[in-house]
Amino acid sequence: MIYFFDGTKNGFLCALTEAFHDDAAVLVTSQVQLALGESPVLVSTDDEKAKKAENRLLSFDKDCMYDLDTLFRSGMENHLQIAFDYFRLLAKMKKPIGKRLAEPAVFAAVECMKKVGHEIHKMHGFIRFMETESGALYAPFAPDNDICDRLVPHFRARLPEFPFVIHDTARKKAAVYDGKNTFVAPLDGAQVLLSANEAEWQSLWKRYYQSVTIPARTSKERNKQMKGYMPVRYWKFLTEKQENPTNFDEIT
Amino acid sequence: MITEEKLKILTDSAKYDVSCSSSGSGRKNTGGMGNGYVAGCCHSFTPDGRCISLLKIVLSNDCIYDCKYCPNRLSADVPRATATPEEICELTIDFYKRNYIEGLFLSSAVHKNPDYTMERLLLVVKKLRTEYRFHGYIHLKGIPRADERLMQEAARYADRMSYNVELPSEKSLKLLAPQKSKESLLTPMQKLAVQSAAFKEEKRKGLIKGHFLPAGQTTQMIVGASPEPDGQILRLTQALYRKNGLKRVYYSSYVPVVRDALLPETSGGQLREHRLYQADWLLRFYGFSVEEIVNEGENLSMEFDPKCAWALRNMHLFPVEINRAPLEVLLRVPGIGAKNAYKIIEARKYTKLSFEDLVKMRVALKRAKHFITCNGKFFGAKSENAVRGLLVAAETQESAEQLDLFGMLSTPQNALIALTGQL
Repeated sequence: MIYFFDGTKNGFLCALTEAFHDDAAVLVTSQVQLALGESPVLVSTDDEKAKKAENRLLSFDKDCMYDLDTLFRSGMENHLQIAFDYFRLLAKMKKPIGKRLAEPAVFAAVECMKKVGHEIHKMHGFIRFMETESGALYAPFAPDNDICDRLVPHFRARLPEFPFVIHDTARKKAAVYDGKNTFVAPLDGAQVLLSANEAEWQSLWKRYYQSVTIPARTSKERNKQMKGYMPVRYWKFLTEKQENPTNFDEIT
Repeated sequence: MITEEKLKILTDSAKYDVSCSSSGSGRKNTGGMGNGYVAGCCHSFTPDGRCISLLKIVLSNDCIYDCKYCPNRLSADVPRATATPEEICELTIDFYKRNYIEGLFLSSAVHKNPDYTMERLLLVVKKLRTEYRFHGYIHLKGIPRADERLMQEAARYADRMSYNVELPSEKSLKLLAPQKSKESLLTPMQKLAVQSAAFKEEKRKGLIKGHFLPAGQTTQMIVGASPEPDGQILRLTQALYRKNGLKRVYYSSYVPVVRDALLPETSGGQLREHRLYQADWLLRFYGFSVEEIVNEGENLSMEFDPKCAWALRNMHLFPVEINRAPLEVLLRVPGIGAKNAYKIIEARKYTKLSFEDLVKMRVALKRAKHFITCNGKFFGAKSENAVRGLLVAAETQESAEQLDLFGMLSTPQNALIALTGQL
């Protein structure tokens, strides 16, 4: 059977309850096109029912809601199905299953969560802040997974005195730290006035990037290695990989 | 603000230092900027395949020493520059704020004399920590023959310090770096190790606060500029790990940036460097001792990675059963890395693992299959010769896929064996 749900966490938990005994359950949100003759089950979201399901799942594995949050953030096309298969197995086994890697549902979920985790770790390195006129820092990026708010604790811990905005330009949202509190807000275009020295610092960084490279060790294969570690799709936001100073019209 | 020209000169002189690790320090932010990231963090990658984690720079490249292999040696005709402590501090802070870097890797040519140089280095790290309230990662290169008290004070501010061994033997040092000696490089390392242990003990008792090299010490040696075989190099490495408690030993394949009659004309080759790192990993994470890996007067096999080579010499120990072998045995199976070994140990608690299960768990089996059984079933090649051929084939294929290996990996005969499949 195909189960339609609204894409929210509570909707997911309700769908899980409803499709629990259906081994061939396929989970979809409303964007999916159905084949002719298929009649889906429309899952209605009931917050109370969802809360009950959540408590039950937590009694099997106290960390599982963090996992669910992580799986929801994944940019993989089938991430909700992966989450569904994983949580159904958890409900069946009634104890933590995260280490049963020989189970395909577990392996798929663990891999999916790893991808999100890896991107968060990579972005701890690849985020590029620009200094604005007010001294606040601004970093645009377009990650594969929905992670902008998961980056905040890391930067808040090391730059507690600097307000900053981490802008996911693809999802048109931003994680903001105002020097005291953090929050997520929708953000489409951003008007950013850079500080007087920003262009010079960017140019020094580019100069550093060029001169730290060792020509005698550079080759096609090594270049490929670089792209493996630092995928080309991220370059748009990496200062050292841009020829000209940051152009905001292109980003926003 | 430092000029682009100066930055270029000072990083050009620093870039041959291999270490760029920023791991091992959990320094907290206590107001100001920065903290330590225990796992370390790479901020960019350069076209030579290396990562940028730290701002790697020398305070000065104006050197009184004349080490033959060094681009900054006294007799070299290169542009010279010296930065002010403020320039370095400002650069570090402004790069760090923009998340370009995880911290600073500061070193220096021996400018005027060792004490003066070490004083200047100490001044920079002290300024960064106290005036600029910077808590990010600092790796400081020690200056041999500088006053011990300067070294000791610097260790209170830096996360990691390193004295480079430079060359793998005293004889080569005498020849190529006459102003340095084994003793001038090893003594500070040993002293720091002792002082660090004493500091930890006092801190544990609550008698003292602060830090003393929380990320420990590392060192580096140049490989291929002098004639020492891998067996000798790795024995030195093992001694440095065991006796001086070093965190890492780095190997830098010699790059001929300098022409000198005493130096080879060609690069040491990246495959050799790669093999040394593989052997180094076996020493640190896989429970091997150097005696098992290579004889003192010999080099590592270019054909097989060191673990494979060891397994081929010890075929009587294989195959091992994947569902029963203890961790230390799994770690010795060619192709099974530390992560996969732990994965297997966890997964087999719940089910008997079959070959298909391993495939599903994405355990790399190209090499491993010749050395394991799954529930008693063997999936490898039948004869030892066949195993050899297939392993060479696996290695060649991988090298073509990912590594620039500077030269032939396997002999034509081996390639032929692999191709004709008489394996």
